[in-house]
Amino acid sequence: MKITVSTNLAGYAFHMDEDAYQHLRHYLVRLEKEFSSEQGAEEIIADIEARMAELFKMRLDKYKQVISLPDIEAVLAVLGSPEAISGNGNEDYTCHRAVPRHFYRDPDGRVFGGVCAGLAAYFSINPLWIRILFALLALAGSFGIWLYLILWLVLPEAATTAQKLEMRGEPVTIANIKQAVKDEFVAVKKKINL
Amino acid sequence: MNTENTKAQMRKGILEYCILAILSRGSAYAVDIINKLRKAELIVVEGTLYPLLTRQKNAGLLSYRWEESPQGPPRKYYELTEQGKLYLADLDKAWQELVDSVNQLRGIKKGRML
Repeated sequence: MKITVSTNLAGYAFHMDEDAYQHLRHYLVRLEKEFSSEQGAEEIIADIEARMAELFKMRLDKYKQVISLPDIEAVLAVLGSPEAISGNGNEDYTCHRAVPRHFYRDPDGRVFGGVCAGLAAYFSINPLWIRILFALLALAGSFGIWLYLILWLVLPEAATTAQKLEMRGEPVTIANIKQAVKDEFVAVKKKINL
Repeated sequence: MNTENTKAQMRKGILEYCILAILSRGSAYAVDIINKLRKAELIVVEGTLYPLLTRQKNAGLLSYRWEESPQGPPRKYYELTEQGKLYLADLDKAWQELVDSVNQLRGIKKGRML
């Protein structure tokens, strides 16, 4: 037994499995973000939602009344990714956008709490320089130590792949996540071999 | 450099012109247009069409009317406005000029390829 969520798409009620609903919601949030600066964004999204409703209707009948995750995936594959729809990038053409960076602690490159590694990733520099700076501040008084402890407390750890990409200012796309996961896998494999 | 990037950009450049060209042969709803574009290998995913249609409509090139659908919500049937027809005529001319110039650069005599 599964819990379903009831949604309204273009004036039609649909029952969806919870995982299917979450997937669709995430897609629509990304779509809204892509068109946030455009006039007529509401109309574009309403048109796409109307088309979704039509495609969902085609997948339902007397014996199948609930939208499942594979249905969502099939329909979204027909419509394309939000980035492809807005023309800000698709599988053929990658463009380099400036991506807003976030401060995180980097658990992969850490010595203590990963504060220096995280700051270095944010500024795209070698963590050694940040560490030397903190060491000098710590020697000059206790300021460096306090600053480090406060940052340790305040900065969130980059736990997920998406957060690690944000830390380095890389766009969070499926391709990048795949690459990051692959990199991590290779790194772990190396460690095991050593 | 790879040819896929260049080809994708070429397709992108003529997509708006092709939408108007399709609508010059009669009104159509988004999925009709998508099927024609897909057959011509000009688009891969459906979604790319919707923002273009809304932009062209807001620019006064297209108008639409609602029609009932056998399944799902009512559909928007788009057609060219008078302004859209003038705009398309202008693009037709520009396209022909472009083809002629490219052919000339490639050393193909006028009319031989057409």
